[in-house]
Amino acid sequence: MRMTRKEFLKTVGIGLPALLCAGGGLCFGQSRGEDIRGEIFRKDAPAKPWKWSVEGFYYTSDGKNVQCQVCPNLCLLEPGDRSVCRSKVNIDGKLYSLAYGNPCSVHVDPIEKKPLHHFYPGTSVFSIATTGCNLRCLNCQNWEISQKKPEEVQSSELFPRDVVRESLRRESPSIAFTYSEAITYYEYMVDTARLGREAGLKNVLVSNGYINREPLLELCKVLDGANINLKSFDDRLYRALNGGTLQPVLNTLKILHEQGVWLEITTLVVPTYVEDPEMIKRMCGWILKELGPDYPLHLLRFSPQYRLTRLPPTPVATLEQLREVALGEGLRYVYLGNVPGHQGCHTTCPHCRRLLVERNGYLLKQVHLNKGHCKFCNHVIPGRWSQA
Amino acid sequence: MKRHLKVFILWAIIGTGVSSIAVQLATVREFLSQFHGNEITISLVLFSWLLLTGLGSLIAKVFRRSSVTAFTLLSGLLAFWPLPQLILIRYFRESVFVHGASPGFNQVFFYILATIAPYCLLLGFILPYSLRVLNERGENFTSGGLYVTDSIGDITGGILFSFVLVYSFTAFVTIAVTSGLLILVVLLLFLVFRRFVLFFFALVCTGLFCLFSLNSHFEKLTLSPQYGEILRYVESPYGRIVISKEGTQHTFWESGTPFYSDADIVNSEEKIHYALSQLEEVRSVLLVSGGLGETLLEVSKYAPASVDYVELDPNLTRVAQELGLIAQSPSLSIIHDDGRHYIKTCSKTYDAIVVDLPEPDTFQLNRFFTSEFFSLAKKALQRDGILSFSVDYSPNYLSEIQRSKLSVLYNTAKQHFRNVLILPGEKAYFLCRDGELWTDVPARLALKSVMTSYLEGFYHGNVTQERIEGLQKKLDPKAPANTDFEPKIMSALFQEWFTKHGSSPKVFALVTLGLTILYLIFLRREEYVLFTTGLANMGVEMLIIFTFQVMYGCIYLKLGAIVTAFLMGLLPGAMFGNLFKGRGLIPFIVSEIILFSLLVVFYVWISFSEGDISQYYFLGYGFAFSFFCGYQFPLAVGLIGEKESPAAGCLAADFTGAAVGTLATGAILIPLLGIQMAMIFLILVKISSNIIVLFPRGRTAS
Repeated sequence: MRMTRKEFLKTVGIGLPALLCAGGGLCFGQSRGEDIRGEIFRKDAPAKPWKWSVEGFYYTSDGKNVQCQVCPNLCLLEPGDRSVCRSKVNIDGKLYSLAYGNPCSVHVDPIEKKPLHHFYPGTSVFSIATTGCNLRCLNCQNWEISQKKPEEVQSSELFPRDVVRESLRRESPSIAFTYSEAITYYEYMVDTARLGREAGLKNVLVSNGYINREPLLELCKVLDGANINLKSFDDRLYRALNGGTLQPVLNTLKILHEQGVWLEITTLVVPTYVEDPEMIKRMCGWILKELGPDYPLHLLRFSPQYRLTRLPPTPVATLEQLREVALGEGLRYVYLGNVPGHQGCHTTCPHCRRLLVERNGYLLKQVHLNKGHCKFCNHVIPGRWSQA
Repeated sequence: MKRHLKVFILWAIIGTGVSSIAVQLATVREFLSQFHGNEITISLVLFSWLLLTGLGSLIAKVFRRSSVTAFTLLSGLLAFWPLPQLILIRYFRESVFVHGASPGFNQVFFYILATIAPYCLLLGFILPYSLRVLNERGENFTSGGLYVTDSIGDITGGILFSFVLVYSFTAFVTIAVTSGLLILVVLLLFLVFRRFVLFFFALVCTGLFCLFSLNSHFEKLTLSPQYGEILRYVESPYGRIVISKEGTQHTFWESGTPFYSDADIVNSEEKIHYALSQLEEVRSVLLVSGGLGETLLEVSKYAPASVDYVELDPNLTRVAQELGLIAQSPSLSIIHDDGRHYIKTCSKTYDAIVVDLPEPDTFQLNRFFTSEFFSLAKKALQRDGILSFSVDYSPNYLSEIQRSKLSVLYNTAKQHFRNVLILPGEKAYFLCRDGELWTDVPARLALKSVMTSYLEGFYHGNVTQERIEGLQKKLDPKAPANTDFEPKIMSALFQEWFTKHGSSPKVFALVTLGLTILYLIFLRREEYVLFTTGLANMGVEMLIIFTFQVMYGCIYLKLGAIVTAFLMGLLPGAMFGNLFKGRGLIPFIVSEIILFSLLVVFYVWISFSEGDISQYYFLGYGFAFSFFCGYQFPLAVGLIGEKESPAAGCLAADFTGAAVGTLATGAILIPLLGIQMAMIFLILVKISSNIIVLFPRGRTAS
């Protein structure tokens, strides 16, 4: 049947705007979501597990569908599906992690870089990451690995025992699970940390804290320190900028505290979003009430990253103001990050107000601590310190 | 009354031309400031513009009756709408997208399409509709005449914008000035045709239009959702400069992206000390952009005898000096010139050239990262002098795209310098020198007693020997070199842009291709030729825009001049074509052969010419090419016959071809495959239309 010109014009006239509206609606819906949480990748799993796979430690199964129990996303995967974090897949009714023994980032860093200021300062930490993240932060610094599947990157082969061996060989007293999101390679982390502890190494988690209670409790058994990124104190912001929710992160902080894991908290001060003094005040009030005044809080300066490139860096004055708010609320150790040479990088004794640790970047210029006590007034400075 | 009607409508068409071309250019500049200011954005705006205008012309084809009042009302709407359009583009950006986030390809495309649709559909509709108004009232006015009249307006608007308005006026004022004629004609039409209520309504609208468009405070207000508190706002010929204030901090924005903020110690120290610490003695330094804030203070630690700071836009340094963000020093000279042009023409040689520019994702920036530029820079360096530049880099993982980008740059620099070192700091810093290069920067600084806030304490934790060597090992020795006309870096950066936003232009490209094929099936032979001519015309225009950008840089300024040159060719071409109308197929075939030959000439010219070509040649070529495009239009209409396919069909073919040409060359071929490949594509398209004209088969009008 041949279409006449008139019919064609009508078709184009109706069809094109309809197509444009549909496309536009889809695109704008994606771009201005109140909630940017990730989605499950349907039918995206490999046909069978690969060399760097292990069966998941925490999941439920009805023999066909599985549900990952590691993080609050609770991904319900039909056969062939891939989780939000891109690391877990349902193959034949079993949940597998594809991120086991295949780190894409392996470096030795100063422990201060994590940042951890009260955890064996001046030492180095063997740092590893595989791909994946359970959140979708618009300002992710490591998006090239956090927003990728394990098959999409170049990886090294380092199974847990190799990680421990390498860490010892490079004389790093700690192993850090960092860079992307350690919770997405939970199984690899737990097995490595277990072997690390047996070898006398310390284990450090650098994470968004988006994890469920049971797996976290298991992890805490082999964890020594953690830096948790508390991205804001507003559930709406968590949904809009990070694709997560606030409460699970707060739960994580409480559990780490209860389990005796050394904890430091990081908050990136994003201009126009995470810079409201009232919000920081509420956040510090919560920390004080639930965790106490002794855990360090790191307020970091934002610089444009990933998709959030049209915001200015955080004004230093804003960071200083928020630091004052946090100290005023009763937190004892509040540090400023990404502001080289600032006084807010040093540690002072909350009792005698003397300078205890003077930092120049990652270098320690002065340390006036004696086995975790202030050298001047003998006040106990909380943290994990070298006994030398 | 009837006599008046023709005069008024002709003036309305001219007024529409004046206004529409200025609105188009102002809209392109607005989107460059709202989104990623690269070639893809330019192409998407022009593509959407042409597509929607073509669709508007098609809609006009459906209407069988016309009315003078409706025409006047629509013309009035066309005159006033550009102001709300710009305001909506600014406001909707903040409500549709996440504040501070850069959207991906699909979002940008649909946003452009949605915001300019009302204006472009109306614009496309009104031209053939005006013809219908005239012809239904016994005026014998042809499509060719319409084309010529519209072109007069377009050229006037283009000249006004490019040579007057762009230098001194903001977007709102530009729109007010260029809409003036159309508004006047609309008011007179209502008055002469005794539509007094509508006249008073239009008068009120005119008052409001002037009130808002000429009020600089109001214009600044429309930008504040994006920038926050605005301290200064300069609509410079080179781009939009905004200085915002966050507490005590100043942030400089160029075309919507922050490029400098106070207390940027890390960037200042890395870019200066990585390079200068390598030298035994620092006597003369050339900074190519990036001289604000702490940068000059860091340079002064080496006490050089002279520091030359080249910045393209004088507005930028003027405002920075007023705010005290350029450290005063007797050794400092500020030069307002294109950095590459300055390096090419300066007689002075330097110990160090420090290039501090954003990512090379446009031709304008790419030309500072090419083999041709490195060759020029080497000549401007003292013996054993150093060139440094940087690109974004993820310190914890080197993706395949990043690897490709760094490898291309490394291999390109290696063609000119004996030693090239990449220091993986916050960015990847390239140090290029024939002399020795040291990796232990803090040791070099200590040797020179240079104190720093960042490098001393952070360098060994961030730029470890392991990271330096690891990066070096991962580079691909077979990666191709980056050149002016084959911008390998740009294609890597576009891939990165798509990856970052999880969007791919594939679906869009396939849908466009499908719709184009569907459209082509229904075209007459002559309409197809017009389609290919429109395609080639816009394709060549895009090629000239980008070639121009490669050679001279300042496209933001010259965009209007190029567009005007093309418009200026269309008018005499169309008039000339009218003379040959009705003389059969031969003049039409001749035009085809000439257009094809001109494409071949351009290809040879670009491929084999050495050195920069005078910009006047480009403008002259644009004029000549569009002359023959314009010449062809009335011939095709004459062959088809006014009744068989009135203006709408031919205009739609021309617009659609132009839209496809813009997209194919500007968004796909030029950025991904280079200028020569884009040229070959245009030649092939014109060969196809040559074949159809010379060996006719199937549907034809004659």
